[in-house]
Amino acid sequence: MSITRRRFLGWMGAAGMGLTVGRPANAAGNKNFSGYPESIGVLHDMTRCIGCRKCEAACNEINKLPAPEQPFDDLSVLDNKRRTDATTYTVVNRYDGIQGADGPIYRKVQCNHCQEPACASACFVRAFNKTEKGAVTYDASVCVGCRYCMIACPFYVPAYEYNEPLEPRIMKCTLCYPRLMDGKLPGCVEICPKEALTFGKRDDLITIARERIRSFPEQYVQHIYGEHEMGGTNWLYVSGVPFSALGMREDLGVTPAPKLTSGALASVPVIAGLWPVLLTGIYAVSKRKDKIAAQERRQAVKAALTQASADAESKLSKALEQAELKHKRLLEVEVKKAVEEATANNEEENS
Amino acid sequence: MHKGNLRLGMVAILIIIGAVAICTIGSTAVQEPRGPSQEARADLITIDTLKTFGDIERPAVIFLHDLHTEALAKQDKDCKSCHLEVKTPPSLAKKNALSVKFKRLKDTSRKQVLNVYHTECIGCHKKSVKSGQKAGPVERCGKCHLEPDGAHVVSDRHPIKMDKSLHYRHIEATKDKAKDKTQCGLCHHKYDEAKEKLYYAEGKEGSCLYCHGDRTEKNRMSIQLASHYSCVDCHRRRQAKDPTLAEKNEIGPIKCAGCHDLQEQRKIKVIKDVPRIKRKQPDFALSQPKEKELSEKEKQDLVLMDPVPFDHKAHEANNETCRVCHHASLESCSEKCHSLNGQKDGDFIKLAQAMHQPQSKRSCLGCHNDRQQERACAGCHTFIKKGAGPDISACETCHMKSEGMATAEMKPEDIAREMLKARNPVRETFKDDDIPEKVVIKTLSDQYEGAEFPHRKIVKTLVKKTKDNKLATYYHREKGTLCQGCHHRSPPAKKPPRCSRCHGRPFDQNSLSRPGLKGAYHIQCLGCHKAMNLEKPKPRDCKVCHKEKKK
Repeated sequence: MSITRRRFLGWMGAAGMGLTVGRPANAAGNKNFSGYPESIGVLHDMTRCIGCRKCEAACNEINKLPAPEQPFDDLSVLDNKRRTDATTYTVVNRYDGIQGADGPIYRKVQCNHCQEPACASACFVRAFNKTEKGAVTYDASVCVGCRYCMIACPFYVPAYEYNEPLEPRIMKCTLCYPRLMDGKLPGCVEICPKEALTFGKRDDLITIARERIRSFPEQYVQHIYGEHEMGGTNWLYVSGVPFSALGMREDLGVTPAPKLTSGALASVPVIAGLWPVLLTGIYAVSKRKDKIAAQERRQAVKAALTQASADAESKLSKALEQAELKHKRLLEVEVKKAVEEATANNEEENS
Repeated sequence: MHKGNLRLGMVAILIIIGAVAICTIGSTAVQEPRGPSQEARADLITIDTLKTFGDIERPAVIFLHDLHTEALAKQDKDCKSCHLEVKTPPSLAKKNALSVKFKRLKDTSRKQVLNVYHTECIGCHKKSVKSGQKAGPVERCGKCHLEPDGAHVVSDRHPIKMDKSLHYRHIEATKDKAKDKTQCGLCHHKYDEAKEKLYYAEGKEGSCLYCHGDRTEKNRMSIQLASHYSCVDCHRRRQAKDPTLAEKNEIGPIKCAGCHDLQEQRKIKVIKDVPRIKRKQPDFALSQPKEKELSEKEKQDLVLMDPVPFDHKAHEANNETCRVCHHASLESCSEKCHSLNGQKDGDFIKLAQAMHQPQSKRSCLGCHNDRQQERACAGCHTFIKKGAGPDISACETCHMKSEGMATAEMKPEDIAREMLKARNPVRETFKDDDIPEKVVIKTLSDQYEGAEFPHRKIVKTLVKKTKDNKLATYYHREKGTLCQGCHHRSPPAKKPPRCSRCHGRPFDQNSLSRPGLKGAYHIQCLGCHKAMNLEKPKPRDCKVCHKEKKK
């Protein structure tokens, strides 16, 4: 059946009004999470890194990852830019030919342990957990392998064990969480000879970074990467050259990933819960209204018809009566005439 | 509703969604198209004169001056074919100088300028084409008024700066050979406001930039105009008189590239050991504030820092221009501008600030700080934090007492000379026997054996690099100062503390900026090597410094 324009607009209006019902339920809301108080982080000073790859070796050993194709002291590996993958939690990349840098710059790439991780927000089985210690840990036992976390991560960090047939896992840096709980240092931090990785509370690291930038203003770019990016990360970077020259995205903004989607997600309960009920109700009410209207119309038609037929019948009977009366009278007149004629004839005959 | 209508509606919606998706999704991935390869030229002039009359409708024209000069030269035409002789100011008119404007002396109206350019440019092009030569565009506005991203040339103009060798060559070239007298007045002038005339004040010559700024003001042309009238026009006139000068390479260029192209600049003959510019400047000076507005009583009560004896001759020899320090005039800093308390003329920069501002290139301290970045100095000075407050103990290095050296009759210049003689540069450090020859650093050895550190060799190298540097030998006040490059945060001593006395476990919350011992060693050693641009040892050649332990 066709819908009228008025009805269509009415539906739209009802749906829109339905959306305004309910609290503005943002997942991260107006509150900003500035990290757990004693949260630990790492400050990577890219003016100190010499690209020796000892951090990669230490990570590989501590996490019992498979041995790589080329050994860790093969520095020709740095000729290509690499990323974390299923057997590598961290890589060091070399960046040549940057304006303003005297020599190549090296950067260690790994999970940034965001304060409000996008991976944790995207995971619907709560496989990721932002621990109070600061590390973002991964629980393989609940993971379903949907890999939404890989799509969500703005730094393209999580990697997946595609080659593992039975129990593939997401592989990413764990900040050596077990060692942290034991009071030890993460493997990469412990082994770095240049202390390009400084370990400590996140607040202290920001103090240290600011102090370094202030004391050596010509050597550093005036920005701590990770202080606010994506709502803040626990892995901070300072550099002597612009971060964009080192393959680090500077267009991420300061909004944490969960906040980016909380608006849309807040409308899900309305759409899934409220709209069906409301709109079905309106539909049902209007359908019922139609039904009743139709019924009433039918009744009215019926009544009218009966009335009309009754009227017609009475008219007919009246007309018939009159016709009969007329006919009778006519007959009488004719009879009378005929009788008179007969009488007159009779009289004539008799005289 | 007919099934057909429903299907049609759905298809329509899908088409709309698809179109929107294609248009918006692709838009972020579009890359900027690469422009055509661009030529870098020094003679690029942007003709946008009409901007003074309002908004311009078409893009400014990019004009290649040298290209035209060369083309006209082939037709035996010179500068006068485009440039008219000026009528004002008289100083230029009497030299028959040519205006830098194209075929006009003044910009009177939008229409006038427009017509001059269009008629003359296009007219000349048309004439050249008629006589069978290559010429610029004659039709289609867009061929001269190129869109900015369609330009095939980009400006590569390098400014030509004051240069002692070039200046000397000009002094010699403009000398009156008969009388053997310099004619500085040919270029150096001052302006008399009352008489509204230029005049030459002997002994008061200064830099052009003291008066001629970036923009043309009412009565004062910009430095671009001034230098072109002064330099290029002079070259042109001389060459017109004696055309052989150009072949002998004894006259300055008149083409843009001759001064402004980097390669051409490098070809300019450099005279070594240029004699000092004669302007009666002092060899030595006693740096003291000259406050003129004080009464005698106030002057008596004035409490000042000890004066600074200043070796003006040595500083002059170390710098290419006077403007490095004398940035606005060659007079005393404190007399007119940087008074003790600051005044409007000096932008309210006090004398103390003018002398000591660490970030400024003009202040004493600022220039000295700059010198610390030289390779020989950078190894230690890279690690010294900036932004810390003034090192009060270093004041005495410059501010010296003049007792015992000055008498009442001596001129300030001589007092300064005596004070400077009394300074003791520190050119050595401790004796060889006191410096360990090799130090084996094995406190942390785990994967590697101890590192054999050639301690004495490094100290001797540092001494060698610094002993001829006046700055270093005056500011390194003690024998042990050089040691403080590595043995830092402790007083200079013959037996400075070991690294492991302060550096231990890393990431100590009580001393956030102190690295652990392993980090301290590597940051100090490798950092110094990097700052001094040492080829070896390479930072990742671990075995060069410490051998691996055999398992």
